[in-house]
Amino acid sequence: MSDDAELLERIRGGATEDFAEIVRRHQARVFGILHRYERDAQKIEDLAQETFVKAWRALGQFDGRAPFEHWLSRIAARVALDHLRWEKRRRNEIALSELGEDALDWLHGSDEKQELAARDAAELLDLAMRELPPLDRAVITMQELEGRSVREICEVLGASGVAVRVRALRARAKLKRALEKLVNT
Amino acid sequence: MNEKKLKQLFAWARNEPAPAPPKGFAADVLRAIRRELPAETPRILSLFDLLNRLFPRLALAAVAVIVLCIAVDYVMTMAGVPDLRDGLAQISAQWLLTPGGFGS
Repeated sequence: MSDDAELLERIRGGATEDFAEIVRRHQARVFGILHRYERDAQKIEDLAQETFVKAWRALGQFDGRAPFEHWLSRIAARVALDHLRWEKRRRNEIALSELGEDALDWLHGSDEKQELAARDAAELLDLAMRELPPLDRAVITMQELEGRSVREICEVLGASGVAVRVRALRARAKLKRALEKLVNT
Repeated sequence: MNEKKLKQLFAWARNEPAPAPPKGFAADVLRAIRRELPAETPRILSLFDLLNRLFPRLALAAVAVIVLCIAVDYVMTMAGVPDLRDGLAQISAQWLLTPGGFGS
């Protein structure tokens, strides 16, 4: 099986069908990125499709200096950020009813030994992060949930390292306030 | 909400598995790409399309030429070389409007 570079060369030469193999190889990673920003499975699928179509359109700009998956994950993160901006205009309210009982207990309790299921934790974070501006949410998601370095975040957002660090600090503070607001609700 | 609790929350949330891509997702992407393909096939551009596309560059080039002409005229005037107006007057006086000149 040929590597990404060979496949991409063939696709650029007109073998559009070979792009399906690229999609199969990288779809899990793209879904993995996008589910940090959106919890609805259908919307994640739409965003993943948008990511691959955008990648296909921009294939001429991929110079092969970095691995294809890095380039693709940057596109996925930008698609996610655009989605957050769109969603922010549409939906801004916080609904505690969306949370499970365990998450509510953990949120209100002080028992440090109590554990939360990954799904509950992700739902709780999602709810609190709806209070954040899209760019703040994107920075904190990339840093804390995706594990991207500041340098990678800079590349995705086209911002300086200082700007990203400052935004990450402020976003973290805002997130804490949003979670406290949930505790007091 | 203390820092420790927040870190715990991030750590748990990181473990949430992503939804699996549905079967046939790659085929769906290819279908979406194929829908875009006809738009990418080159079409013959009319002269109007071409001018429309080149308009900003043509406008800039025209402005540059006009500025260049004014600058040259100004420099030549400062240097004492007869400018375009003088040159035209001279041509008119010496050649166009003299008996036996053009138009007589």
